[in-house]
Amino acid sequence: MSATPSSEKLGKVGRLRSLADFYVTTMRTEIQTQFQYRAATYMYLLGMVAEPVIYLVVWSTIADSSGGEVNGLTAGDFAAYYIVWTLVRTMNIVFTPYGWEWRIRNGELSGQLLRPLHPIHYDVAQFAGGKIPWLFYYLPIAIVLTLVFDPTFDVRPAEIAVFAIAIWGAYLIRTFNQTALGLVCFWTTRVGALFSLYIVLELLLSGRLVPLTLMPDWVQTLAWFLPFRWTFYFPIETLVGDLTNAELLAGLGMQLFWTLAGIAVFALVWRFAIRRYTAVGN
Amino acid sequence: MSDQAVHVDGLLKIFDVPERDEGLKAATKSLVRRKTREVRAVDGISFDITPGEIVGFLGPNGAGKTTTLKMLSGLLYVSGGEARVLGHVPSKRERDFLRRIALVMGNRNQLQWDLPALDSFELNRAIYQIPRADFLALRDELIELLEIGDLVRKPVRQLSLGERMKVEIVGSLLHRPAVLFLDEPTIGLDVTMQKRIREFVAEYRRRHEATVMLTSHYMADVEALCERVIVIHHGKILFDGDLTALASTVAAWKTIAVVLENGAGDLSAYGEVIHRDGDLVTLRVAKADTARVTARLLAEQDVLDLNVEDPPIEDVIELVFAREAVE
Amino acid sequence: MTTLRVALLHLRIGVLNDLQYRVNFALQVLQSILAVTVGLIVFQLVFSHTTELNGWSHSELLAILGVQAVMAGVVHAVIQPNMMRLSEEVQDGKLDHALTKPVDAQMLISVRQVQLWQAVDIPIGAVIIGFALARLGGNVGVLDALAFAIALAFGAVLLYCFWLVLATGSFWVIRMWFLPELFEGIFQTGRFPIGIYPDWLRFGITFLVPIAFAITVPAEAVTSRLDWQTLLFAGLFTVAAFSFSRWFWRFGLRHYTGASA
Repeated sequence: MSATPSSEKLGKVGRLRSLADFYVTTMRTEIQTQFQYRAATYMYLLGMVAEPVIYLVVWSTIADSSGGEVNGLTAGDFAAYYIVWTLVRTMNIVFTPYGWEWRIRNGELSGQLLRPLHPIHYDVAQFAGGKIPWLFYYLPIAIVLTLVFDPTFDVRPAEIAVFAIAIWGAYLIRTFNQTALGLVCFWTTRVGALFSLYIVLELLLSGRLVPLTLMPDWVQTLAWFLPFRWTFYFPIETLVGDLTNAELLAGLGMQLFWTLAGIAVFALVWRFAIRRYTAVGN
Repeated sequence: MSDQAVHVDGLLKIFDVPERDEGLKAATKSLVRRKTREVRAVDGISFDITPGEIVGFLGPNGAGKTTTLKMLSGLLYVSGGEARVLGHVPSKRERDFLRRIALVMGNRNQLQWDLPALDSFELNRAIYQIPRADFLALRDELIELLEIGDLVRKPVRQLSLGERMKVEIVGSLLHRPAVLFLDEPTIGLDVTMQKRIREFVAEYRRRHEATVMLTSHYMADVEALCERVIVIHHGKILFDGDLTALASTVAAWKTIAVVLENGAGDLSAYGEVIHRDGDLVTLRVAKADTARVTARLLAEQDVLDLNVEDPPIEDVIELVFAREAVE
Repeated sequence: MTTLRVALLHLRIGVLNDLQYRVNFALQVLQSILAVTVGLIVFQLVFSHTTELNGWSHSELLAILGVQAVMAGVVHAVIQPNMMRLSEEVQDGKLDHALTKPVDAQMLISVRQVQLWQAVDIPIGAVIIGFALARLGGNVGVLDALAFAIALAFGAVLLYCFWLVLATGSFWVIRMWFLPELFEGIFQTGRFPIGIYPDWLRFGITFLVPIAFAITVPAEAVTSRLDWQTLLFAGLFTVAAFSFSRWFWRFGLRHYTGASA
């Protein structure tokens, strides 16, 4: 029996280097694939932008008719908030539980399970790769929004640096949250209900609907103990708000915490999910 | 035992299939309490495959072929018995195990849909951690062997079914698996393409000393590739041995399906009437007699349509049963 | 009219099909209630900081929300499934089945598909409208009710025309998978009085995507702020849009059948 060239056991470093190679290759492949869907992606992003633009207009209208500000936020502040929102949103769109449902049903999961690499790596790498062309598509949208809605910005270099990291933190948290939710598909086909609940909670507690400072106090307190805040509000706040360096770093720390928590939950549930899947298969 | 490529002993796979009668009342009841039925997809099979062997797994649909392959590749949990591939327990899905096997399923797509196959190959290289030099050498060798040089640059979605199968197979061999599981690889393909794929598999195995397990319900697949054939039906092995023994049984006769102007007449002079459906009559004749009987039918009867076919696999199995009973 | 009968036959089959999936009904009710709840929470937040939005009170805004829910039900249950199916069949080449039937193709492709449980939004929307009217002090005049019904009809037809034009685009630009998301996004603008939007956007959601006619106008009718000129204009616009969309459909069809020769 011939020896497979790739059967030499790689050391820890070799393994890491191969993983990095895998990520780079997957991201590159995804960029190529995404390139073919330019027009459709643009349409999709435009649809996505409608959500914050509506809220932007509503709150600016209220601000203007209430003496220029609401809870200390002017129309310009709202514009800034929601425009940064669109960038954060572009970054935190991830593989949904519906995707898991589809993947299980059409047998794609079996193909992935045959590979010597955990499927989660593929998801994380693929979507991460997709973000790169998306950021380019997003730029003109951002420029148009800025010209139309005249946001007020006051940014420090430190804030930009932290923002650049925070958007990836938001990406990871949402990835693992939604993947964990997606694992429910291994037990039921009715994950839609659970996912809808999740989205509603996220809308209210993450700053996706309105800046958290506009929510009642008890909601704001609750938001501190949940991961949602760190997927929308914190990244936006780094650019739009006035956080001290300490607060910026603490925020990154919280993102790290919630990412690890997400990974832990996912890793735990995965073992049961796979056991269930391999009992029945597809 | 540990140097066998594949070792299977008393392998069992039991599914709990939900059962429900029709009607509103039964539907409501099923919400509360689910009735399940036990289905033994694989019912205690045992066999060993030595490294480098090429074995055909033959049986009708639902016989347990695909289920067995899925258990051997780690996709399905074993209900009972033992399975070992290259010394590993497949359901543990160890990384070193996965890097040495490949499972190719007939109508499943594992390549990127929108990109040329070459890009998917590159992705496979990264997934299987194949050293670049080895990867390029094997890739080019396989591309040349299957003559897909011009196909690998087109997006996979633009390829026909047969072309897609070709690039899929190449993609799955890039990590030079020691054990290759092929599940109905020629399903839906035309005769030329079937031949091409069979030749390719035979050549790959010869060059790289791989062990190949192939499932099919086409006798022709097995005849062309395998020295040894395992016949499986209802989850049980009916025959495990030399292909020539089986082939001689099958090669002994053919079926003629003929549509007559009036099918009610007595056709026993031509051959054994095994089926009659209005004007469509199916005859079984000895292979040597096929041409002669066909000519006579066309001359003496009002024939509207006529088809000469290999006997279906179910009939082969029937005969295998009968043969085993006699011997 | 055989065309109508065939269309209704398809619809019946679709409904019977969906009726089998009772769990989907429960799910849909849940989703609709969640969506409405979020809308109500937004209004609550908005009106904790102001008393009126562009001249609309809280209760009047609830009427808008209700109308939007009703229209969402109509779109998701009847219009969108058919148009998305059309788009997919153009891509898969399966449209030929529909074209070879001896009935008007546009009628057939417009009514054969249904997602019954999405229609749950319609009664939910009606309830919200009723609630809003109750808070406004109750009585809706006969004229207003009539105007409301007519405005709803115009709105539904306009949304249909819009979707038909977009789906017809599939004849040239094959992949339209983003349509539902894109439409959803823009459709959400209808939750608020269109007067708050900048001019260019207001123009877009009046004449390009018929949000204003589909949602704001019926809402104005039911809250007694509609003038007959607007309704008349809506009617004329509907007729024009329908004529255009039918012409565009036939144009696209000629292109399709010519191209697939």
